[in-house]
Amino acid sequence: MNMIETKGLTKIFGELKVFENIDVHVKKGEVLVIIGPSGSGKSTFLRCLNHLETPNGGHVAIEEETLDSTNKKHLRKVIEKMGMVFQNFNLFPHMTVLQNVMEAPITVKKENKEIVIERAKKLIDKVGLSEKFSEYPSKLSGGQKQRVAIARALCMEPDIMLFDEPTSALDPELVGEVLNVMKNLAKEGMTMIVVTHEMGFAREVADRVIFMDGGKIVEQGTPEDIFKNPKEQRTKVFLQKIL
Amino acid sequence: MDFNTLAGIVPILLKASVMTLKLTFLSVVFGTIIGVIVAMVKISSNKFIASIGNFYTWIFRGTPLLLQLFVFYYGFPAVGITLTSMQAAIIGLSINSGAYMAEIIRGGILAIDKGQFEASKALGFTYYQTMKRIVLPQAFRIVIPPVGNEFIAMIKDTSLVSSIAMEELLRSAGLLVSASGNPIGPYLITACLYLLMTTVFTSIFSSIERKLSIY
Repeated sequence: MNMIETKGLTKIFGELKVFENIDVHVKKGEVLVIIGPSGSGKSTFLRCLNHLETPNGGHVAIEEETLDSTNKKHLRKVIEKMGMVFQNFNLFPHMTVLQNVMEAPITVKKENKEIVIERAKKLIDKVGLSEKFSEYPSKLSGGQKQRVAIARALCMEPDIMLFDEPTSALDPELVGEVLNVMKNLAKEGMTMIVVTHEMGFAREVADRVIFMDGGKIVEQGTPEDIFKNPKEQRTKVFLQKIL
Repeated sequence: MDFNTLAGIVPILLKASVMTLKLTFLSVVFGTIIGVIVAMVKISSNKFIASIGNFYTWIFRGTPLLLQLFVFYYGFPAVGITLTSMQAAIIGLSINSGAYMAEIIRGGILAIDKGQFEASKALGFTYYQTMKRIVLPQAFRIVIPPVGNEFIAMIKDTSLVSSIAMEELLRSAGLLVSASGNPIGPYLITACLYLLMTTVFTSIFSSIERKLSIY
C-alpha cells in the first residue's frame, strides 16, 4: 500500500508556478529525501502534503484517503496521520517541554491525560531530554528545541513524518543530535519524507532520493544512483556545488 | 478646613471610590469579553463579518464616551428602553471599552508568529482550538501593558458617568463641595483617591507582567 501518493500535484502562487504535475509514491517504512536548490519547490511540495498550502491542482492521498480541502473535518482526520517538523521548530513558547508534547493528543484526540503523560515522557526521554520536562522552549538550544518538536509530532502517533529542512536553522554543532534522532526513527520503520540539505543524511538514511529543480522532479533513485551516477546534467551541477 | 469636616468627608469619598472601582472592574471585564469577540470578528477572512467588527469600533471609538452615555441614559427612553443610571453606566462604559479592547486584542493576535498557526494546523487543531490553546494565551501576555493602560484610563473615565446621575467618586466630591461651600478640600482628597487607585492598579499590572514573563 502507498502511504502517500500524489498525482498531478500543482501549486501556483499568483503568476508563479511553484511546481507542476508532481507524481510521488511513498511506501510504508520508506524514507524519501528530497533535495534541490532553494526555490525548487521542495518545501512547498512538502507543505502541500498536509495542506499547509492548498494545492491548485492534482491530489494527495494518505493511506489511500484523498485529502479534500472542502471537507475540513475529514481533512483534519487525515492530516493527523502525518507529523510535521519545521525549520523554525514552532514550539509553543507558553508551554513547558512536557506540555508541548502532551497538548495535541489531549486537545485534538481527547485522549486520557494520564496515558498521554506517560507516552510524552517516554518520547521526551527517547529524544534525550528527560532532564528538561519542565523547561520552557526559550531555555533550550536550537537542537533541543527541534528534538522536542519531533517528540511533539510523534506523540500524535503519526504513520508518516514530514521534515521541512529540520536542521537548516541550527548551528552546525547541533545538527548531529537532530539527525541522530531522525536516523533512529528511520530504523524503527517510520515512513518519512525529508526535505534537507544534509547530503550525508540522505546518503546514509534515504531509501530513495528525489532531486527537484524548477518545480519539477529532475531525477530520482537510490542514494547510490543520485550521488554516484547522476544522469541529468542539472543534478550533476547541483551536487558539484553542494558537495 | 478643620479636621472634623475632613473626618466627615473622607468616609463618604471612600465609599464613592468603591463605586468607581466597581464600575471600572465590571466595564473592563465586560469590555474584555466584548473585545475578544469583536477582535475575532475583525480578523475573520469573511469580509462581511469583518466589516461588522470594523463598524463597531468605528462608531464607539469615533464618538465621545460622554455622548454615548447620554444616548443610553437620556436617549433610549424615547424609544421605549429605560435604563437605570447604573445600567446605562455599565453598558456605556463596557461597550466603549470593548471597542478599544478589540483593537488591543487584535494587535496581540496579529503579533503571534504564523508558525504557531501552522504547527497547530499540522497537529490537527481546529481554528477554535488553535485560538483557545495556542494563540490567545500568547496574545494575553502581549496585551497586558495596553490592557493596563486601558484599565487606568477606565478608572478616570468612570467620572463621566457622574453626568448621568451616577454617584461615583467625582460626583460625591461635587456634592460635598456644594454642601460644605469648601471647593478645595473635597477635590484634593478626591484627586488623591484617584491617584491611589491608579497607582495600586499600575503596580498590580506590573506584577502580572513579571509573573507572565517566565517564558
